[in-house]
This record gives sequence, structure tokens and C-alpha cells, in this order.
Amino acid sequence: MYDLPHARSDVINSDCKISARNVQLYYGDNHAIKDVTANIADKTVTAFIGPSGCGKSTFLRCINRMNDTIDNARMEGTILLDGEDIYDSKVDPVQLRARVGMVFQKPNPFPKSIYDNVAYGPKIHGMVRNRSELDELVERALRRGAIWDELKDRLDEPGTGLSGGQQQRLCIARAIATEPEVLLMDEPCSALDPIATAQIEELIDELRQNYSVVIVTHSMQQAARVSQKTAFFHLGNLVEYADTGQIFTNPQDPRTESYITGRIG
Amino acid sequence: MPLSWILLVIFAIAAAGFWFGTSRVLKSVDQNVRALHSLPSYYGGNVSMWVLVPSLGVLAFWSLAQPLFIESRIAYLLEERMSNQGVTLGLMMTEVRRVADGLDSAVTENVMTTEEARSMRVELTDIRNRLAEVGVALGANVTAPIVHAAQQYHQLSATGNMFKSITVIALALAGLGYALLRTTKDFRARNAVERGILAILLFAAMIAIMTTVGILFSLIFNTLEFFKIYSIANFFFGLEWAPSFSGRGGSSSLSVIPLLWGTFYISIIALIVAVPVGIFSAIYLSEYATPKVRAFAKPLLEILAGIPTIVYGLFALLTVGPMLVTVFGDNTVGWMSGGTAVITAGLVMGIMLIPFVSSLSDDIINAVPQSLRDGSYGLGATQSETIRQVVLPAALPGIVGAILLAASRAIGETMIVVLGAGAAARLSLNPFDAMTTVTAKIVSQLTGDSDFASPEALVAFALGTTLFVLTLALNVLALYIVRRYREQYE
Ligand SMILES: Nc1ncnc2c1ncn2[C@@H]1O[C@H](COP(=O)(O)OP(=O)(O)OP(=O)(O)O)[C@@H](O)[C@H]1O
Ligand SMILES: [Mg+2]
Repeated sequence: MYDLPHARSDVINSDCKISARNVQLYYGDNHAIKDVTANIADKTVTAFIGPSGCGKSTFLRCINRMNDTIDNARMEGTILLDGEDIYDSKVDPVQLRARVGMVFQKPNPFPKSIYDNVAYGPKIHGMVRNRSELDELVERALRRGAIWDELKDRLDEPGTGLSGGQQQRLCIARAIATEPEVLLMDEPCSALDPIATAQIEELIDELRQNYSVVIVTHSMQQAARVSQKTAFFHLGNLVEYADTGQIFTNPQDPRTESYITGRIG
Repeated sequence: MPLSWILLVIFAIAAAGFWFGTSRVLKSVDQNVRALHSLPSYYGGNVSMWVLVPSLGVLAFWSLAQPLFIESRIAYLLEERMSNQGVTLGLMMTEVRRVADGLDSAVTENVMTTEEARSMRVELTDIRNRLAEVGVALGANVTAPIVHAAQQYHQLSATGNMFKSITVIALALAGLGYALLRTTKDFRARNAVERGILAILLFAAMIAIMTTVGILFSLIFNTLEFFKIYSIANFFFGLEWAPSFSGRGGSSSLSVIPLLWGTFYISIIALIVAVPVGIFSAIYLSEYATPKVRAFAKPLLEILAGIPTIVYGLFALLTVGPMLVTVFGDNTVGWMSGGTAVITAGLVMGIMLIPFVSSLSDDIINAVPQSLRDGSYGLGATQSETIRQVVLPAALPGIVGAILLAASRAIGETMIVVLGAGAAARLSLNPFDAMTTVTAKIVSQLTGDSDFASPEALVAFALGTTLFVLTLALNVLALYIVRRYREQYE
């Protein structure tokens, strides 16, 4: 049904990076995530798919504690990163977010220059010693974000003045500049043309060598192309979670099957 | 016809016009709304607009112009007749207006017929008695010429009012007819209404601008009067403020510099107090405070902003001044001789401006989109890093605007200065000296019984103009800063 270049089980290196146990999330009275248990493997791309409003973004935000910033969000259950509970009071969410980077669903460049947008994380975390190292780091991040060639002469211009797709890639470059161990990407290609999408998918594949990547996408083809594991969410439940090949060729749950064949969602 | 009646008639015509317009256009397409260019209500609205706008415009203009016209004519007549009786024209005109009003109400209450009210031959005593019946008592100084002038006044305005009613209602009907004629199914009523709304908004904006221009002209006019009797160079470049109270200008030194210096010094101290405290408290309120604290603290701050400045003035005079004297006064370091000083007024003014700055900045910081904060947190930034490097830069244009607004309030503040800083104009660097500001001097020059034609009084207008220009410059600067910043980041 789909072509599945990376879905061979021999590439899946499955020591567990993130382990979510019985995660519940409430927005006030709205039960948005219902008892989700899942392991996310290291050096793997995991795709979250599911109809709009099913809780993909919400679950993603649980993994780096971004829901802490929402007043009426309340989480239950545990999430372990490398065996350590990230919701433990000993854990500093700021430190955690430096390890678990995030690309948001809506591009959100800072009202700063393109250069400063990318340099923001490295500067905060003291990753460079001098300006030339920073220059290098920024250039590398922008190259990997597939946007260097377009922007290399405009680094002083504000990031907010870019097109939607350029902003999206800038935010990806910004996120990978801090070199997180886990990268959470919420629909990172939603505003990109096919060429830029292919470049970002290449980047994701490259990141997989060292990191764990979680990507939310509405494109089945993309999920099939880039991920090794796929999780299907529906109405806050994790309906099915398996190797990408299996999800797309032999789904166990009828809801999964109707979604990937285009009957719900 | 009284004004309320005219308005009623016009609005009735407008309402009828709405109905006529709607039904006429609906009939023209056999109730098939889809065949119309615009929704039926737009056709009705267009007709109402044509009824209301021209007639109300003329009504407003006429109502303003008619009294001016009549008064100038009556004043001219009176002046001819009573040129040598030693009473000022202004006083007589007040009487004339009063009697004319009396005649008006006598007619409406049927104490007098229209004929009687107009007739010049009626005896004075008779009129006096009749007017007393409607509650208008005429004093002994109301002489026959005044009563006659009043009769004329009454008559002129009655005629004027009649013509006004006729003209305005005719205009309303003409508008009705014209608009109804144009109401066909292809007429772009929606666009016409759009233009009409634009015109109304433009008119409102014009009123604001014209008032400003009017104020400016009256300032400039009096300022020019002042510069006719006092040298410009002395005003702008002199170093002394010493108006004489008896003399007629010759012995007064009226220089703006000591006053401007006081204004500037006190405002700077106020801003040094208000800006950091205000912005920090805004940051606390918008970023750190729990919703509960916020719900309690924000209204409290806003109440602070509503305290009348005279209360702050008393606070300066009775609390802050004496307190500063105990700290810096003769008993300790001896820097301060009295409670009234630049620092007293500056501190209190700063306190007054804190809620102003913080409340405005809080709104502005709150308006920074959450997605920007999320982006920063998502990269592992702490809250204060996020605020310093993302939120504040994004909010900066607004915050600069808030600070400059606070600055113009500080410059314009009077009460705190009068009570806290003293009344002595002085050029000094010592913040413990008493000084005064432009606004405080404007008040003191215009109160008291000084002659309005003397330089000591007219200087107030020159001071006002200077202040106006300064505040204007400040606002232009604010706009410039904000715009430059916007260009950079939008
Ligand atoms: N900040 C919030 N406050 C309250 N409810 C929220 C908030 N964010 C999301 N929700 C609710 O939680 C549910 C899941 O939303 P979520 O954003 O996770 O969906 P999603 O799967 O990412 O959808 P999409 O594909 O459209 O991005 C929705 O019902 C949504 O209304
Ligand atoms: Mg989402």
C-alpha cells in the first residue's frame, strides 16, 4: 500500500528512551489523554498519527513538560526518560527541555534576527566559546534545516519576516541547534513544498543515527517514509502502536484501518 | 419648532425612508432578494443616511451660527443707541439675552401672545409684570432700549428658528426623495452605506483634530500678544523668573528656563522611580503571579491610578516632605532645609506614575503571544531568560510608549508640584532645593486678580505653548522610536 524504505525491522534499535506509563491529561474537565502507555525507542523515528484533536500534540507536550505552562492542564501517570521520572520534583523542567527539544505545530520565530533565533539556544546553554564557533554552529543548524542557501545573505533580517515555510524550517534549525537527545516535531512539514519536505525528512533520518525523534504528521506517506514505529491516537486513546510496516500493511484495530485508508479522520 | 421636535421629525422621516427604501427595492424584484445587489436593509440604510446626514449637518451648523449672527447684529444696534452710558457692552448683552429668553418662555407658556412679545410699543412696566409671571425678574437697570433689543433678539431668533426648521425638514425630504429615486435593484447600496460609514468616522476624527487646532490657535494668538509686550529673547534665554506684582511688565523677569529646568528635573526623578518599579511589577503580575494574586493585585493597582493627584500632593506635603527632612535635614546631614523640594515632588510623582506604567506595561506584556514563550521554554530557557530575551523585546515598542505617556503626565502634573516642590523658580542642581515647574506657574500667573492684558498674565499662554510643543515633540519621538523598532521586527 505504501512504500516503506525504513520499516525493515533490522534497523530498529530498540533500547527504550522514553517510557510513558498510564498517562492521563485533563484540560479542566476535558480528558484529553486517556491512559496512554507507550515506550519510545532510542535512535528511532516514531510517528504519531490520528485525526485532528485526538491529543497528539498534547501527548507530545507531556514528554517535555510543556503542559506545565498551561494553567488548567493536569497530568497523571509517569513518564520516564532514560529510566528517570521527568515529573519528579527533583527534575528541573528547564534542564529537561534542553534535552528534549521541540518544534511546534505553529511556527513561532522570535522577534529577533534570523541569526539570533538560531543562536538563542546555544547562547543560553553556553554551548560555544566565541563568536566564530557560534557562527559555525548557526550555519550548520541552518544547513541541516534546509534553509541556509535561501537565507545566508539575510541573517540580520527579522525571523518574523519570513514566509510560513521558511519560518517552519527556521524553527527546526533553532531546535536542532541546541542538539537535544530527543526531538519532538509537531507537524514540521505542514507548510513546506515537496522539495523542502524531502530535505527535512532527510534531516530526520540523519538525526536518527544519534537521537530519538518523535514526529506528528497528518501525511500517511510521510509517516511511512520516515518512521520505524507508528502510534495511532483516536479520541485521546492510543489505539495501536507498532512497527510502521505493520501499522500500514496489517493494522490490528479496525479504527486504525479505517483511518489509514481514509475512512475516518 | 423646538429642537427636539425637529429631531423627532427627521428621525421619523429617516425611519420611514428605511421602510420605503427596503420595500421599494423588494417590490422591484418581486421579493426575490437574490436578484438584488445588496441586502434589502442596505437600501433602507442608504435612504436613511441620505435623510439624516445632510439635514443633521445643516441643523448643527445653523444652530451654532445663528446665535453668533444675531448677537453681532444686536450688539451693533445697542452700541449705536447707548454709546455713552458707561455700561459695558458685555453686561448689556447678558441682560438682553436674559430678557429675550424670558420673552421666549412667556410665549410658550401663553402669558403673552407672539404679537405682544414682538411689539415695540408695549409699556416697560407691562412687560416687567408679565415676565415676572414666568419667573424672570427684571432689575432696575433694564432700560427700554435693552428691552427693545431683547424683543428684536427674540424676533430674530424666532424667525431664524422657523427658517431653520423649514430648511432642515426640506433637506431631509429632499434626501429622502433623491435616495428613493436611486433605489433600484442594481444600485450598489452596500458600497454606498460603506462610504457613508467612512464619512461618519472621518467626521468624528475631524472633530478631534479641529478641536486640537482650535486650542492651538487660541494659545498661539495669546502667545503672540505676549511677545508684543515682552521680548522673545528674554523669555527663552533669560535665566531668571521674577514676575513683579505691581509693575506693568517693565520690571518683571519672565524667563522659561528655570521653569523648564524644574519640570525636567522633577519628571526625571519621577521616571527614575516609576519606570523600573512599574515595569518590574508588571512583569511580576503578568508572568509570575498566580491568577489569584493577579485578580487581587491588578484592580488594586488600578485604584491607585485613580487617586486624584491632589491627594498625592497632600501626601507629599504632610508625609514625604517631613520624612525626608528628618533624614536629610539640619539635624543630620543638613542638605535639606524644608520639606518642599524637587526630590519630594519627584518621589511622590514617581509613586503616582507606578500604577500607570505597570498597568499599561502589564497589558502589553500579556499581549505577547504565548507561542513565543513556548518556543523559548521549548529550547530549555528559564522563565527570566524568556522574559528578558523574548517577551520584553517583543513588548518593547509598547513599553516605550507607556514610558513616554508617563513622561507626558509627569510634565503636565501640577498639584503635586504646588504642594511638594514649592513655588520658587530656581536653576539649581541640588535635588533638595525647592523648585517649581511650568504648569505650577501657569496656574499661579492666571489666578489672583491680575489684569489679563499684562505680561504677567499673558506669559501663561507662552508657557502653555512651550509645554504643548514639548509634549508634542515627546510624542513624535515616541512614535519614531516605536516605528523604527517595528520596522526591524515585523
Ligand atoms: N490549551 C488547551 N486548553 C484546553 N484544551 C486544549 C488545549 N490544547 C488542546 N486542548 C484540547 O485537547 C484535545 C487534544 O488537542 P491536541 O492539540 O492535542 O490535538 P491534536 O491531535 O494535536 O490535533 P491537530 O492534529 O489538529 O493538531 C482537543 O480536544 C483540544 O480541544
Ligand atoms: Mg496538534
